[in-house]
Amino acid sequence: MDLFEKKVTRRELFKQAGVGAFALMAADPLFALLKPVAGVDNPLDFYPDRNWEKLYRDMAATDEWFTFLCAPNDTHNCLLKAYMKNGVVVYLGPSYGYGKAEDIYGTKASHRWDPRCCQKGLALIRRIYGPRRVKYPAVRQGFKAWVDAGYPRGADGKVDSKYLQRGKEPFVRVSWDEAFKIVARSLDNIARAYNGDDGAKKLLEQGYDPAMVEAMHGAGVQALKHRGGMPLLGATRIFGMNRFTNSLALLDAKIRGVGPEDALGGRVWDSYSWHTDLPPGHTMTCGHQTMEFDLANAENANMVICWGMNWISTKMPDAHWLTEARLKGTKVVTVACEYQSTSNKADKVIVVRPGSDPALALGIANVLMSEKLYDDEFVKGHTDLPLLVRLDTLKLLKPEDVIPGYKNKILEKTRVLKAGEKAGLPITQEKQIITEALREEWGDYTVWNQATGRVQALSRDEAAQAGNWALEGTFKIKTVGGEEITVRPVFDLLKQHASHFTPEVVSDLCHVDKDAVLWLAREMAKNKMKTLVAVGMGPNHFYNNDLKDRLTFLVCALTKNIGFPGGNIGSYAGNYRGAYFNGLPTYLLEDPFHPELDPAKTPKTRYYSKYESAHYFNYGDRPLRVGNKMFTGKSHMPTPTKSMWFSNGNSILGNLKWHHDVVVNTLPKIEMIVATDWWWTASCEYSDVAFGVDSWGEFKYPDMTAAVTNPFFQIFPKTPLKRLHDTRGDIEVLAGVSKALAEVTGDRRFIDYWKFVHEDRVEVYLQRIIDNSSALKGYKIDQVHANAKKGIPALLMTRTYPKYMGHEQSVDKEAHYTKSGRLEFYRDEDEFLEYGENIPVHREPVDGTPYEPNVIVCGAKDLIRPKQLRDYGFKKDDLGTETRQVRNVILAPADVIKTAHPLRKDGFSHIYITPKFRHGVHTMPVDLDIIAVWFGPFGDIHRRDKRMPWVGEGYVDLNPDDARALGLEDGDYVHVDGDPSDRPFRGWQKKPEDYKVHRSLMRIRYYQGIPRGIARSWFHMYVATYGSVEGQAKNADGLARNPRTGYQAMFRTGSHQSATRAWLKPTLQTESLARKDMFGQTIGKGFAADIHCTTGAPKESFVKITKAEPGGVDHALWRPARLGYRPGYESDAMKTYLKGGFNA
Amino acid sequence: MPKRFNWQIGRDQFYKYEGKPPKRQIAYVFDTNKCIACQTCTVACKTTWTSGKGEEYMFWNNVETKPYGFYPTGWDVNTLEKTGPGAWKNGVYLGKTVFESTPEGKTVNGYLPTEEDWSHPNLGEDEVAHKIEEKATYELPHKSWMFYLARICNHCNNPACLAACPRQAIYKRPEDGIVLIDQERCRGYQECVAACPYKKPMFNAHTGKSEKCIACYPLIEKGIAPRCVQTCIGKIRMTGFIHPPEKADADNPMDYLVHVAKVALPLYAQFGTGPNVYYIPPIHVDPAYLKQIFGPNVEKAIALYKAQDPKLVGLLSLFGSTDHWVDSFKVQNGNATGYQDGKELVTVPVKEPVVFRALRDKELNVLRKSVT
Repeated sequence: MDLFEKKVTRRELFKQAGVGAFALMAADPLFALLKPVAGVDNPLDFYPDRNWEKLYRDMAATDEWFTFLCAPNDTHNCLLKAYMKNGVVVYLGPSYGYGKAEDIYGTKASHRWDPRCCQKGLALIRRIYGPRRVKYPAVRQGFKAWVDAGYPRGADGKVDSKYLQRGKEPFVRVSWDEAFKIVARSLDNIARAYNGDDGAKKLLEQGYDPAMVEAMHGAGVQALKHRGGMPLLGATRIFGMNRFTNSLALLDAKIRGVGPEDALGGRVWDSYSWHTDLPPGHTMTCGHQTMEFDLANAENANMVICWGMNWISTKMPDAHWLTEARLKGTKVVTVACEYQSTSNKADKVIVVRPGSDPALALGIANVLMSEKLYDDEFVKGHTDLPLLVRLDTLKLLKPEDVIPGYKNKILEKTRVLKAGEKAGLPITQEKQIITEALREEWGDYTVWNQATGRVQALSRDEAAQAGNWALEGTFKIKTVGGEEITVRPVFDLLKQHASHFTPEVVSDLCHVDKDAVLWLAREMAKNKMKTLVAVGMGPNHFYNNDLKDRLTFLVCALTKNIGFPGGNIGSYAGNYRGAYFNGLPTYLLEDPFHPELDPAKTPKTRYYSKYESAHYFNYGDRPLRVGNKMFTGKSHMPTPTKSMWFSNGNSILGNLKWHHDVVVNTLPKIEMIVATDWWWTASCEYSDVAFGVDSWGEFKYPDMTAAVTNPFFQIFPKTPLKRLHDTRGDIEVLAGVSKALAEVTGDRRFIDYWKFVHEDRVEVYLQRIIDNSSALKGYKIDQVHANAKKGIPALLMTRTYPKYMGHEQSVDKEAHYTKSGRLEFYRDEDEFLEYGENIPVHREPVDGTPYEPNVIVCGAKDLIRPKQLRDYGFKKDDLGTETRQVRNVILAPADVIKTAHPLRKDGFSHIYITPKFRHGVHTMPVDLDIIAVWFGPFGDIHRRDKRMPWVGEGYVDLNPDDARALGLEDGDYVHVDGDPSDRPFRGWQKKPEDYKVHRSLMRIRYYQGIPRGIARSWFHMYVATYGSVEGQAKNADGLARNPRTGYQAMFRTGSHQSATRAWLKPTLQTESLARKDMFGQTIGKGFAADIHCTTGAPKESFVKITKAEPGGVDHALWRPARLGYRPGYESDAMKTYLKGGFNA
Repeated sequence: MPKRFNWQIGRDQFYKYEGKPPKRQIAYVFDTNKCIACQTCTVACKTTWTSGKGEEYMFWNNVETKPYGFYPTGWDVNTLEKTGPGAWKNGVYLGKTVFESTPEGKTVNGYLPTEEDWSHPNLGEDEVAHKIEEKATYELPHKSWMFYLARICNHCNNPACLAACPRQAIYKRPEDGIVLIDQERCRGYQECVAACPYKKPMFNAHTGKSEKCIACYPLIEKGIAPRCVQTCIGKIRMTGFIHPPEKADADNPMDYLVHVAKVALPLYAQFGTGPNVYYIPPIHVDPAYLKQIFGPNVEKAIALYKAQDPKLVGLLSLFGSTDHWVDSFKVQNGNATGYQDGKELVTVPVKEPVVFRALRDKELNVLRKSVT
């Protein structure tokens, strides 16, 4: 027996020592190894016995491997190799198969793409085999009691609070069939309770906004909400939530007794816009969700500007493209509110105030326009800058206004649909498509022809064509009615507007070096078609995000950096573009009344489900109604949320902004919460039913995905790993609940709808999507699946490899997806005029600013005419959090810094931001021990300070000068408190017990890389829950672990979300904005989930930071500060070291 | 005490044992300009080798942010204090190595970290050297800076651990120069832990033995690169075998980067152990700090790196493209190729080509649009 297989304890050794040693030596294998030690004189010369080396060879040896796809919302999707020994996975590694990817035309990726993985992916071995798996279907005790009692309700429909004690009860294990039945019956019961006039009455009594009740159109199923988290991450199993919701039309038909023509499905929540990943100004400018480029394009550029986009920490497997481009001469620039990780890869580091990005972009635009550095032809051809605006109405001048008898041009490049005509499946669509009604509504445009000295009409068919048109000037013309009006090109208005944002003014306003403003403008102009601008979620998670987009787009358009391999704009966040699989409607919208059972046929589609933004649920399940006005457009209007079911997303509950308010104030209004997940998150903590599903390493059904940042088309392969727990596949859960609904309703189409799941042939659904998708057609699922099992992905077949947007417009001269067909910087829709954003103004952040929040910052006061609070029925000015969303006070750019956030007088001092970092993709897999211990400075695997909630914990970064001014030491525990009027939750003053759970408590770190006035916590860590707070008090080891569920928090109380809240912006909720539909080439208007939709402002807060406890236990300081290694506490040796002083 | 020539410090120095150099010497080059501190290397190593009892705190590979990061706490500040400041002149280190400043009774001038020193492995993560000012703008070199230092056992030419072990239970493999602590013969005196200036041996209280990075020799023996190298998504690492300067082969990637292009430098060469992990220094950092850690040639190395020599650029673009160790390479016609024992491992384009697909596939009746 080998020594290593038997651990010898000292006790064993001494036990043997008493017996005759030599006799034992012969007999006992243990002693056989105690040979007289061969003396080792010189280990460098000769080492006698190296047999022990077998130890590590055995550890490394594995029997076989398989692959699985790691795909949280980081956008990368890495095929990982799982190395197995005796059927157990022992470690994970990269597949090295990306360099073998090939499309059907022979286009190949190179091994420069390899390796692809990351620390979080490799740590999954501790999650797949981890203790906090959701191991079986589980039902919260109180919810089960409600179901078993027959769903008792009050007269107003309300459920007794004794059944709603979420987060405070144990969960009961049930069988799968029972779990399916419970969810199906509950969906049916809840839909019936709120159906028809009777249901509407109950909802009004419960206090829902009447507009929301009206939006249900009497169908109770419309109160049932569903969300698959970032559905592109699973075309069939996650997007399947949308398909399921569509099939609820069968339930509605049963409940209301209506036929397929009148039935309604359930409601689907948004994803991309829910995360505030959608850059909403992209839609306003180019007409579709986002323009971006695969990150591998970095080496095609002369300059890459990372603008609030922490590339190397949030796009890690593609970081090498940036550093390798830099190696070859590409200049890397960071524009951020700190010296961020990516700054250490930058040739130029520019620090700017967070949330001031629109103003910075205006400053750059000012230089470009006033120094005439813009590309004249590109601007005239591809933008709305030459289009004429009439100064009397501030509307775009229409040809019919001035040309007698003008008729809209017949469009040849745009397909105009007659009433009742169908567009056909997206894969068949070649031209952009607009209905006749919209074509007539939008009409044509005008420019000033400099040769003829007259107004010239332009249609969207003339997009990308440049003519001899004025960009500047004021022209007096007569309307057909004889009136004299003044018109000016959009460019002329923007130039005037931008002129107020001089480098000096921008320097003071944005806290940025004024020479940096000049430098950025001139360098971008010098590098036309060769500057890539990657904008990130730093700027996007502020309220003024749409303005930031319109203005960063402007700067790129002026310098001809749109639509080229090395010159483009991009916005980077999560993995949203379901549109890559534009054949998805055949799956998502398959007509549930006539499911297609023949695998060879293409299903009929019928759109029964309705979409809405989850931000309204976040906001307290209400729309934006302020004063006497409803700001939420009708097409955006949400319905009351009486049931919510979500899969693959902790972000909808466990880590949503204003989490603590939602838990206390909104969840009690919801009757059923169902979470589908494989790991016990805070979303599971607060759920009623938790469906435990297969981890990515255990998939028994293949699925597929693609990415917005790389060109690969990826399959989730089926794996040979035996299921570790009583889990099912995500798609099985959908099929299972549907089967139970068949029993409840008697409609077997609920079973037929998922026929190919029941027959274990989900490949049928996948192949249907492939055959109907422009970028996939030609692939066979079996072949791509087989390759994925070998670690080899396929390639998405869009126009270019690597992919990027804008080629068709900038090079092939097609139209953008806007009304005019051009990039649009001027918005003349009524809503934009009313809110003062017809020109892209700057707005101060709505909370995260030391100045007056949400003021319009504009020097060109004659160009905007916003309504004021008095127009909305307010008698006095009101800077309260809800009112300020619709407050349109205008300040000149130079005057902003003279103002103050209303909380400053109460000792609130810091902008608080919560960005993303390297150790988590949202919250995945941050609570794993070997990840948590690396997350920041406080990790300690032995948890020597027993106050720590876990082996790692949340913290806030503060400039040392600020910390000292607040009396805080490095390592202290502090409270970070947001606006007390609504944070951590509305009504906290009356609920002291809840307040204790939800108020933030975290450590502070002295952080020299952040300017004064800014505090930062990372976004990722597991929040405190009732159970975790209880655990810290009750558990012998003091871990913040729920004694009932095992949930492990990384905060003692509260979280980074204690200071955040939901915000709704009026300009994102219009009825009139033109935008491309999700799939295909059709352009519509108004609400579109993930496209034109409210987004929130997750980064925003203005906080007070106060000391709670000292950093050390036996000492005031925590150990590293005491020993002199921390900034501001340096010992003499440390000071010498920092200067390089040991090199004499 | 015998003496031997250490080319890294340009002179002879003391070392406890005589010995012939190994037949091949494993070496690594890490390009700090590409490191992103993702800790993928750290987790790769951890999940392969140190998931056992007594190993909870151990990370044989770690990435620390300089200057405020350390694992264990303060390791290099402490070693520098022990050996004291020293000057370089014409490539010769005039100060004392860890073998030349030894206290009474000790073979090596080191110190034993306390248990608490191993807490907080990511102390100093992303922290910069100085407070940044408002409206800061930096160009190279950055006025305030930080960089990432990925560290493993250096498999030194003159290992301090080997010299310090009272049982001679540490040896250097003759076939590849990998330094190993014999897990059978070790009795846990922790002299190696105290001696190693880089603090890479770590004591396992459960087994009573010290352990450290083994250069993944079971993989090396099969031609495969160590776990930390093959999982590095920053593509900052390459493993191969290095020759002494007089035998440098310009087509061997280790020799080329260290001896020919001279962009890769040893870590704290002044300690005198002859480490075999070589770093391409961060081009944005204060040269005064860099000289302390990478020696007097650091500014020259940065200038050479910035000069964008095509062979250098080609090799650096090859990093990470194969999961094997590379003993030879070629850069030609815009491609870089890596070889092992004469066999081609991989060829990559130094610049990934942009491909435009035809818009219309008539046969399949589909349009390959960018916006779908």
